[in-house]
Amino acid sequence: MRKLTLALSAGIALVSGCVDNTIVDPVNSPTTEALSGALTSAGVQTLALGVLAADRALVRGDLTYYTISAIYARDAYRIDPNEPRYVSETLGGQPDPGSFAGGGGWTNGFVTIRAATSLLEGLPAAIETQISPTQKNVTAGLVQTIKGLEYYRLLELRDTIGVPIQTSAPDSVAPLSCKANVLTYIAAVLDSGNASLAAAGATAQLPFAPPTGFTAFGRNYRTAANLVLLNRGLKGKVDLYRGLQHQNPTPGAFTAAITELTQALGGAAPGAVPASTFQTGAYVTFVPGGTEGAANPISDARVGVNPKAAAALQPGDTRSSKIITRAALSGQGLTTTFNYVGANTGVAANQSRPIAILRDEEVVLLRAQAYIEANQLANATADLNSVRTAYGLAAYPTFTDQASARTALLYEKRFSLFFEGPQRLVDLRAYGLLKAPTTPAEVSGDPFNTAFPIPKTEADARGGTGQLTPVCN
Amino acid sequence: MKIRTLLFSLIALLTASVAGAQQRRITGRVAAVDGGGPLASASVTIIGATTGTYTNEQGQFSLLAPQTTITIRVRRIGYQQRSMTVPAGQNDLLITLVKDVLQLEAQVVTGTSTAVSSLNSANAVSVVSAEALTRVSAATLDNALQGKVAGAIITQNSGAPGGGTQVQLRGVSSILGAYSPLYVVDGVIVNNSTINGGLNTITNASRAGGAGNFSSTQDQSVNRIADLNPNDIESIQVLKGPSASSIYGSKGTNGVIIITTKQGNAGRTNVEITQRLGRATLANKLGQRCFGSSTEYADWANATVGQAKAAAAAEYNAATTKCHDYEGEYYNNDDLSYETIGSVRGGTSGGTNYFLSGLVHHDNGLGPTDYYNKQSLRVNVNQAFGSKLTVGVNSELLHTLTQRGISGNDNTGITPGDIFSQTPSFYDLQRQADGSFPVNGSALLPGSNPFQNADIVKTPNNTYRLIGSITSNLSLYATERQTLDARVTGGVDSYASKDNVISPATSFTEQGNFGALAGTLFNSDAAVLNANVNGSLVHRLVLPLFTAQTSAGFRQERRELSTTQLTGKGVIFPTVNNVSKAAQTFPDQTLGLSRDFGYFAQEEFFALQDRLLLTAGVNTERSSSNGDQKKYYTYPKFSASYRVPILPSFISELKTRLAYGKAGNLPTAGRETFLTNLLYEGSTGTRASTVKGTSEIRPELSTETEGGFDATMLSSRIRFSATWYKKQITDLLLTAPKVPSTGFTSQYLNGGQITNRGTELELDVTALQSNSASWISNVTFSKQTGFVDKLPAGVAPFNPGVGSFSPRYGNAWIQEGQSTTVIQSTVGCTGGLPASGTCAAANRILGFGGDANPDFNMGFGNQITFGPFRATGLLEWRKGGDVVNLTNNYFDSADLAADTAASHARLKLYNAAQHPYVENAGFVKLREITLGYELPANLTRTVFAGRAQAVRLELSGRNLKTWTKYTGLDPEVSNFGSQPLGRFQDVTPYPPSRLFFFSLVSTF
Repeated sequence: MRKLTLALSAGIALVSGCVDNTIVDPVNSPTTEALSGALTSAGVQTLALGVLAADRALVRGDLTYYTISAIYARDAYRIDPNEPRYVSETLGGQPDPGSFAGGGGWTNGFVTIRAATSLLEGLPAAIETQISPTQKNVTAGLVQTIKGLEYYRLLELRDTIGVPIQTSAPDSVAPLSCKANVLTYIAAVLDSGNASLAAAGATAQLPFAPPTGFTAFGRNYRTAANLVLLNRGLKGKVDLYRGLQHQNPTPGAFTAAITELTQALGGAAPGAVPASTFQTGAYVTFVPGGTEGAANPISDARVGVNPKAAAALQPGDTRSSKIITRAALSGQGLTTTFNYVGANTGVAANQSRPIAILRDEEVVLLRAQAYIEANQLANATADLNSVRTAYGLAAYPTFTDQASARTALLYEKRFSLFFEGPQRLVDLRAYGLLKAPTTPAEVSGDPFNTAFPIPKTEADARGGTGQLTPVCN
Repeated sequence: MKIRTLLFSLIALLTASVAGAQQRRITGRVAAVDGGGPLASASVTIIGATTGTYTNEQGQFSLLAPQTTITIRVRRIGYQQRSMTVPAGQNDLLITLVKDVLQLEAQVVTGTSTAVSSLNSANAVSVVSAEALTRVSAATLDNALQGKVAGAIITQNSGAPGGGTQVQLRGVSSILGAYSPLYVVDGVIVNNSTINGGLNTITNASRAGGAGNFSSTQDQSVNRIADLNPNDIESIQVLKGPSASSIYGSKGTNGVIIITTKQGNAGRTNVEITQRLGRATLANKLGQRCFGSSTEYADWANATVGQAKAAAAAEYNAATTKCHDYEGEYYNNDDLSYETIGSVRGGTSGGTNYFLSGLVHHDNGLGPTDYYNKQSLRVNVNQAFGSKLTVGVNSELLHTLTQRGISGNDNTGITPGDIFSQTPSFYDLQRQADGSFPVNGSALLPGSNPFQNADIVKTPNNTYRLIGSITSNLSLYATERQTLDARVTGGVDSYASKDNVISPATSFTEQGNFGALAGTLFNSDAAVLNANVNGSLVHRLVLPLFTAQTSAGFRQERRELSTTQLTGKGVIFPTVNNVSKAAQTFPDQTLGLSRDFGYFAQEEFFALQDRLLLTAGVNTERSSSNGDQKKYYTYPKFSASYRVPILPSFISELKTRLAYGKAGNLPTAGRETFLTNLLYEGSTGTRASTVKGTSEIRPELSTETEGGFDATMLSSRIRFSATWYKKQITDLLLTAPKVPSTGFTSQYLNGGQITNRGTELELDVTALQSNSASWISNVTFSKQTGFVDKLPAGVAPFNPGVGSFSPRYGNAWIQEGQSTTVIQSTVGCTGGLPASGTCAAANRILGFGGDANPDFNMGFGNQITFGPFRATGLLEWRKGGDVVNLTNNYFDSADLAADTAASHARLKLYNAAQHPYVENAGFVKLREITLGYELPANLTRTVFAGRAQAVRLELSGRNLKTWTKYTGLDPEVSNFGSQPLGRFQDVTPYPPSRLFFFSLVSTF
């Protein structure tokens, strides 16, 4: 009987010892639980780099952000016998929301925004001995600025189709917001970033080294004072387009834009920004091959320059160096013998060529545009000429009407920012120029697409296309 | 309240003392009929009491019995049981037993520590004996099971040496989750993972990883159950579905294969040594296009690679051999295969029993440097401590070293099959007289020469494995009417598997693909540990009216799997295999740990003179794999069997049975939302994965109802068994799309339903049974269908395959109302085919071009003995079931297929958006054949100087002949290895081999 008791109690001990240990924490990979815990300095760094890497994934993904938007804006062709949709769903017809041509440039942006929101939520609880309140503020300033940038990029591609404003609860689906709402929201996000940076103080530094695109191009954005310049530049850009919403212009937007853009230029007077600082700015950098595998998406053998863009170059414009010749690229009724210098796959360095997020030359041109819209034509001419003369062209006399100033501005913006993003597409839309006869048809049946549709995956998951009317409130 | 009453009565019964009575001692001897020798280890019990004993080495036993007339029952593994009445006064017995050639009375598992005779079993549990497993040498256990189990579809993934086989019981039971049956060896749950060996680093078959390609499912690796030594196995029981496997709870959905290894037995020490020598030869070839003239070649070269006709003709004319048989030249390794098996079996009754065995096995592959080596050492010891405690220790130490060569899909032009499909056959690729290898002149390839690669590229897998278990049984209480036993079984299965890929920069393939980064090293270390422990109490109550067996206990399990992989690109120094010396290195690591815990209880109730068996059981389990790690999931089962008492005289036994049970399948993913690494300028960035986890993820649930009957007829010479089942799987692990603007693109969830239905028939006939001759035939038949009944809201039809190429060839597809195994493909062209013959991409109609599920599967086995001669054969017939033959497309696209007309016809259909690469892969295979001769006793005595008891010579063969309409190398193929769905892709696989063996089996 003693044996029996012994065996039974041993059995019971064994059972009770085993019962409580089926709990296993994830060992293989961190989970989102990690975000709600106390973040270390390394944690903040990897999450912030995650936000920047996710932004890079948006501009690289599906060739939408740079290449297809440039096709829409009549600067580029992409002719590929294996993939006719780069023509048939851009210049030749409507984009299919289910294909890469219509459905790209979407998900990655919202992934970036989710990543930014998560970091912003986790940041206050970060371990203070590792991340000081000042460092939290400067980090928040960067992340809010990138979050604003991301919404702006999405809006560049979707325009009046609408963009939902993500809520912090991952399971709640926000309605599509109309363009005006999204612009207002972006302005607010950028302002909160500016406030964070102000709270950090001008000399505060990010607690980690950002990618070289933020440090190696004439300005070190690791410092709060310089991040403010990026933040204000983007805010000025947003305010400019808030003013240019012809249906629903935001009052005082141009004046605000001028102030912000001037701030972004360090207070430089109209015409006073030297050509030597035109390339100064924040950039996305690309790393081809290896595990990172993030090559510059414009370096692409199937890409060429729309011959009408090449023909539009004024004689003597040294920006002609951006357009080179290439072996004829033809198909689907299009042909070109021009190439963008950065698209040439013969030059290996093109795969790692950085592309600006915002650089001073664009800020100068945005300010010129804001001056035009605010009807301060002397200031506008001064800024325009500072760019124009830098490329070997004669200065304009002071403009006397907004229309001709706009025409001049659009020329400078087109070639200064050639293949650097959807800026021209946005301008053509803003001024209602993306239609015949102002813009000639490329092929018969050219639908003059101005924006990308809501992707099919989004529409389907929302329960069909009936749910896609943007809401203004 | 009911439970309390039950408990009270139990306790009352336990403590009730049996009325003392006068006892007598019965002694006796058990022997085989017809002058067979004494039978040791036979169990002798008194019916209606718990009293019993075992026979000793001389077959003798002694037993205390009441003075009244009693009935005793004698049982011995391999013999039909026998009951006999012993009247008062008869105290000396001679009992003879008849061999159970049809395995009518094998013990089948019903619980963690309980079993019943298959006479009573309520489930169609297939039992495969040692003899049936090892008639013909098999590289792996799963090969040895092919064609022998009704309801199991066992398919090899390719012909590469060392295994790689998928076992599927009763259809597809999971879409994204685990699909392998659970393997249990002597109570230890053993691991059957496939550790991908890193071939992808040189094949780039899956290009996802860019330059840092690691391993992939296309590495043609082996599922590790292949390690086991089939020769050590006493029997295999196959619990095919949840109605039987419910006892394994949330791991039972895919069925359970219970392996019992050989144990020592009392009696004469038995030493057996088997020596086999054999050869593998190429069983099938695809052939090559043979260009009959320089003009024919020049036309091809001009059309295909744009070469000037004159230059092409000159190249052709310069060749000495115009038509090489590349397959014959390459798969021509005629080294010998061999196998040495030795075992010692012995013991004393009531003391120590032991079984020791050793194995040295070498399979020679068909490729020039391919092979499979296995060594194993087993020690099984059982020790009785007095009459109450027995302890058994089983352990097996295994080592395998495999070099499987390169096969399957590639994007680097390195797989021999790919190279042959792209090389005009006049190019000489073989090693030249000076020892060098020619650069492949075909413009379709980067210079790859498979003979050179075979010479310098090494892909070894080296695995050390230890499987060990301890079982103990303590008799806590035993009276004439009741016993209470405590049983504990625990064990570990642990292995370290090391994979290397060494591909020097001197390889033309490396140079042609990787340029400055030529030279690849891959180094993977995997460590796997499975450990489990079961404890149970088993109570047996024997009353005149019924017998009740109650068992209850717990089970705990721990599973660990970790792999560390290093890839190096740009390896400059030919002899240096250190990844860190490569120009670029890429590390990767995976860690896995899960823990399960559960309780079980079962009641088995025999009544009506053991004619009726009612069983009810329940298993409740929790697991770290579930979203709620603390929640218990419960799996009940109920079954009934009844042996019909009044039968026509030609029927000796008829049992009807019905069983119902539930089992689960643990989620393999979905509990967490992981953070994904994104690199930015080489620094690690992190963001939430776009696939959202859910804390509600739970096991897939399968519910099975099985019914049927078993009949033995004509004095047990014919056994027929028929089973029908319906297996319904709900709560499938799936992913549903999420609104992308939330930042997540999909989310894990449970939902949907699959229903599998099937029929299984088994017929065993002893056509002849006499002292000098016997003929036994077995036929198995199984047929099953599986349909996707529903998918949860929001889950659109989808391609579940981890890999597939395109519906232009054929891929798996999950859609409501369709067969689970349907193959989606293009089936036509909208608006008819244009004059060009090529259907535009937008006009291709998607439909269903086939189904991977065979119509039915049959096995035909025959064993004939005639005096000293023995012949056995096994034929497997699989009717229907489709495979996507992309290998044909390789040849077609290069216009280098042996049969140009057939190739052009396929391309025409392909361009017309038909599905010419979906092919019927039904087959009849001569799986096994053996011819044996037992040397006459006097010759044995002379030759072995009286030491050997018996010596047998055997000629045997495996997969000697295949009859099929399939145009590929082998209808048994899977480029993606074992998969729940979508395993049917044929992409330049390793060709099948015929295996021949000569064996000498001697018993001492």
